[in-house]
Amino acid sequence: MSRDLAISTEALDEILAWLNSDRGIAVNMYVQLRHDLEHLFSLRGCADPEELTDEVLDRVARKVHEVRPTFKGDARHYFHAVAKNVAKEDFKARKRRVSLEDVEPLQPEINETDEEVAEVEECLQQCLQNLSREKKELILAYYAREKQAKIDYRNELAQQLGISVETLRVRVYRMRVQIGECINDCLSDKGRVKMKRIK
Amino acid sequence: MNKEITDALLREFLLGNVDDVIRDQIESLFLTDAQARKRVFTAEQDLIEDYLEDNLTTADKQRFLSRFAQTAAQRRDLRITKSIKEWARREAWEHSFPAKHSVWAGLSSQLRLKPLLFLPITVVVIIAVVLTVVWLRREQALSRHMEVERELARLNAPTTQRDQTAQMASLILSPLTVRSTGQQIEFKPPSDIRILELRLAWIQKEYYPTYQVQVRRVGVDESFTIQNLHADVDVRVVRVRLPANILSRGQYRVQLTGVGPDGSLGPTEEYTFVVAA
Repeated sequence: MSRDLAISTEALDEILAWLNSDRGIAVNMYVQLRHDLEHLFSLRGCADPEELTDEVLDRVARKVHEVRPTFKGDARHYFHAVAKNVAKEDFKARKRRVSLEDVEPLQPEINETDEEVAEVEECLQQCLQNLSREKKELILAYYAREKQAKIDYRNELAQQLGISVETLRVRVYRMRVQIGECINDCLSDKGRVKMKRIK
Repeated sequence: MNKEITDALLREFLLGNVDDVIRDQIESLFLTDAQARKRVFTAEQDLIEDYLEDNLTTADKQRFLSRFAQTAAQRRDLRITKSIKEWARREAWEHSFPAKHSVWAGLSSQLRLKPLLFLPITVVVIIAVVLTVVWLRREQALSRHMEVERELARLNAPTTQRDQTAQMASLILSPLTVRSTGQQIEFKPPSDIRILELRLAWIQKEYYPTYQVQVRRVGVDESFTIQNLHADVDVRVVRVRLPANILSRGQYRVQLTGVGPDGSLGPTEEYTFVVAA
């Protein structure tokens, strides 16, 4: 799958206007949509979700001028429809490649170097220090157990906090995202320091 | 999100185990409904935890890896969750371990004891522990003593005393009153000997219906008493059998006393012998 065209400013403006009349909200929706499409391609097992997302956005940009006046409903449904076509094409292309190779490659286990693990651990410690005591204790309680003990304890924990298990999961998920972003920033900083040393 | 879309269905969706209709429905909601997006992400976190805890079947593990470990960013995300879980488990263990092993930590937290109370309570607990240990040791010693006395009674019962065994050694002892000072009878127990028979010479003119023997190692308070022994009038001795395993290195003092028909005690003769290594 190749992409020759970059999205023009006019097309981008029209997409944003289609998503929401408030440009600020529309920009946030566009960023979120991009992220979500990438995620859906990952869930479909596509090899290059980022590339496929770009392809969807390009195709929508090319058609937005024609489609927008007649399309009824949430514009994101149109993006979804385009994404499904792109995914189907990608699936066919992969199938061809697989039949040529005649073997479906098994996914390998995740290989990590000790250095990578140590860097994440170090960043995690830094990021945990940025959390409030309550948040840190909640993360600790949420992740400390495994298997059935984990399920039982999370039910107890939700009761203690006076919330549903579902709310607890979402609350911890938000903290998990926050920690993840902090760790990624920390790792990027470490990467930059390393690059400077190499130079 | 529709009510029929359960967590279990979301899990199957995440693993790619649903048909196109369901997949389209969930994907569409994922793109347009913030609540649905949260549900997908939390279901995804649960699935990631199941993978990290090795709770997935081989097939699901393969499906999981093809969807959640494709890119460097995804692999890093898995590593982050793994590190958080490992940290939480470590912390929980470190917090619970001292509490499990420290009586004081448990007491202080459960009873909310003031520090001033620690000293008297510590003293009381130490005394209680010492008394318990002393009592237990005494009970053990008493139990062992009774066991030996039972064995002595069995070995010296008239019916058993007639039995001869190859694993028995004999010592003929004369009373101290007829022995010159410093003369000691020494016994080196061979390893295959189980019984030592003492033949105690009875030099008194008068005989008694029964005799009793008291055996004690010099320097040790514990003594064993064997009753209802009979004299062998022909050779003027009273035989007493001791299990070899109760004898340890040192000097032994043996007292032989005649017991009258009414239970009154007659004269006592004393004997000694030495158990050598």
